[in-house]
Amino acid sequence: MSLNKNFSSDGKLFTIQIKGKFDFNLVQAFRSAYSEIGDQTPKVIIDLRETEYMDSSALGMLLNMKKSLGDSVSSIEIANCKPQIKKILQISRFDKKFDID
Amino acid sequence: MRILVVDDQALNCSLLKFMLEQESHTVFCVSNGKEAVEQFSDINPDIVLLDVMMPIMDGYEAAPLIKKQVSDVYLPIIFITALDDQRSLTRCLEVGGDDFISKPFDKIILSAKIKAHSRTRELSKKSFEQKKLLELHQNEVQREHEIVEHIFKNALVEHLNVPDIIDYHLSPASMFNGDLFLVSPSPIGGLYIMLGDFTGHGLAAAIGALPTSKIFYSMAHKGLTVGEIASELNNMLSGLLPGHMFCAATILEINKSGRSVNAWLGGLPEGYILDEKGQVKRELESQHMALGILESYEFEDTVVHFEVENTDRILVFTDGIIEASAPNDEFFGEQRVLEIMSCSKQAKIEDVVKAVYEFTGDIEQQDDLSLALIRCKATSLPDDEPRSFSQLPINFNIQLDHEQLKTSDPVVQFVDLVCSIEGASEHRSNLFLLLSEAYNNALDHGILGLDSQGKDTEEGFYEYYIQRADVLSQLKSGYLYFSALYKPENQSIVFTIEDSGSGFITKRSHKADNKSHSHGRGLGLLEEIASSISYNEMGNKININYCVNERASST
Repeated sequence: MSLNKNFSSDGKLFTIQIKGKFDFNLVQAFRSAYSEIGDQTPKVIIDLRETEYMDSSALGMLLNMKKSLGDSVSSIEIANCKPQIKKILQISRFDKKFDID
Repeated sequence: MRILVVDDQALNCSLLKFMLEQESHTVFCVSNGKEAVEQFSDINPDIVLLDVMMPIMDGYEAAPLIKKQVSDVYLPIIFITALDDQRSLTRCLEVGGDDFISKPFDKIILSAKIKAHSRTRELSKKSFEQKKLLELHQNEVQREHEIVEHIFKNALVEHLNVPDIIDYHLSPASMFNGDLFLVSPSPIGGLYIMLGDFTGHGLAAAIGALPTSKIFYSMAHKGLTVGEIASELNNMLSGLLPGHMFCAATILEINKSGRSVNAWLGGLPEGYILDEKGQVKRELESQHMALGILESYEFEDTVVHFEVENTDRILVFTDGIIEASAPNDEFFGEQRVLEIMSCSKQAKIEDVVKAVYEFTGDIEQQDDLSLALIRCKATSLPDDEPRSFSQLPINFNIQLDHEQLKTSDPVVQFVDLVCSIEGASEHRSNLFLLLSEAYNNALDHGILGLDSQGKDTEEGFYEYYIQRADVLSQLKSGYLYFSALYKPENQSIVFTIEDSGSGFITKRSHKADNKSHSHGRGLGLLEEIASSISYNEMGNKININYCVNERASST
């Protein structure tokens, strides 16, 4: 379980990558990751390619992030989900609130 | 020297024997051509002194038969002759003679001739041995090349074949290619593509291709990011390659829909995104130094991200294309490549390659030529292979007391246990979700008695988890019971989670919906993903039924 974040070289893209387990154990780390986004209104990508596990607490964290960031980002995309993770997001209708690729 | 004297006159024989032995040669005498031919291989002489006129077989007849028995090393035949008419001497040469010595013998002339022919014989022997050594060497090199070629072919062959998406051309300047082009599917349905160019060409340049391809494929199978792949390759190559060698590379990841691309660009000439008509939409300028130069702490794994249309194409190439020279030393240049791509919608890699060869004419290819055109199309994932399922009924039980509840985070461990049942591991994420929801509900509400109401606000959400940690650390009693029972007859697992609390589950179930509360989603998700769930009357025990054979459950 870990969380990585980085800005692309042009500052237009902010990526948060979550490895292994995405649940309430990441509450603090996840919140502080998106608190440094600044005022460049970047696009945010939550990269879940290495996320094996996720539960409803992760969904809550994503919703909180969306509320908190509001218009300070151009869009939030949840990217590279494994099929089962994608299904969890779809069941929860997250496709209505986030771009899920 | 071993010298064979062939003469029917005993006097001549003994005279020659005497004179030659004085010069420390070993002398053998026979009295006619037939004996000479028959005993030649036993005696194995270095020089033959051969009389012309002899009974049984004369010198003319014997000379070619003797020469026939020697293969690789020069064997001098010197005719002993009293003849001085031109025709006889000419005939001696025609049958293979190399020189003459005339009767009566002059000791100095004889000695000079033997010395001269000995030297020639020695030189010939030496060059024959060198030739043999050289052949041995050549065979060895040939064999090694074949082995290495075989290994290369196998190492790079894992190539995914997707001709509708990728059009490419590689032509090495020598037997081995210092350029490499790798394609691999990602576990989430997209594609990874790497074009690399090692310094120089030939075997020395190609050697780095082996570990590079292994790392690329293994990281692609794990679905890692292009930045991570680049970083890992850099670490390996900087340790492996000598200081003056490196690998310029472009590593791309295209997602399943073909609309989103991540690129790590290090040291290759600019790539291009071309629209439907072949016009440049965007240039992909190199962002980093080539792989294998920087130490890992200096290395940058930042990537470029861009969105593309499904009609767009990405064009990448190595400097071999740009720097291909015409007879007047002019470079082919990227402009010519772009012109070819823009002159027709159907322009192919083959058209560029043809133009490069026409341009360079008869000039020998200087560097490896590689280029690839990637169509940004959605990929079609291959169908899953049929899976097999355990035939055994399997049961796992765990009971955790309050101390264990404080210190452990058991859900993943329990998921691992369940995934050891054949056929279940594909469902890892779903099993985690089911058990995590049930476990956290039982612990949070059943045992710790927490209330989710506060979770509606963002601050409340975080406070909830702080409060949870706090209450948990002070827990004095309570237990939680977990079990999983696998039933092979319908490939399903029944989970039971029971807590020591007084019951928290209300009859009203929460359907997953689009309300934006940060809580209350858990039970809804459970209901959607499980085949069925039920609670006991008291509300402290949940049974979850889950089928691991999704094909059976959908029919």
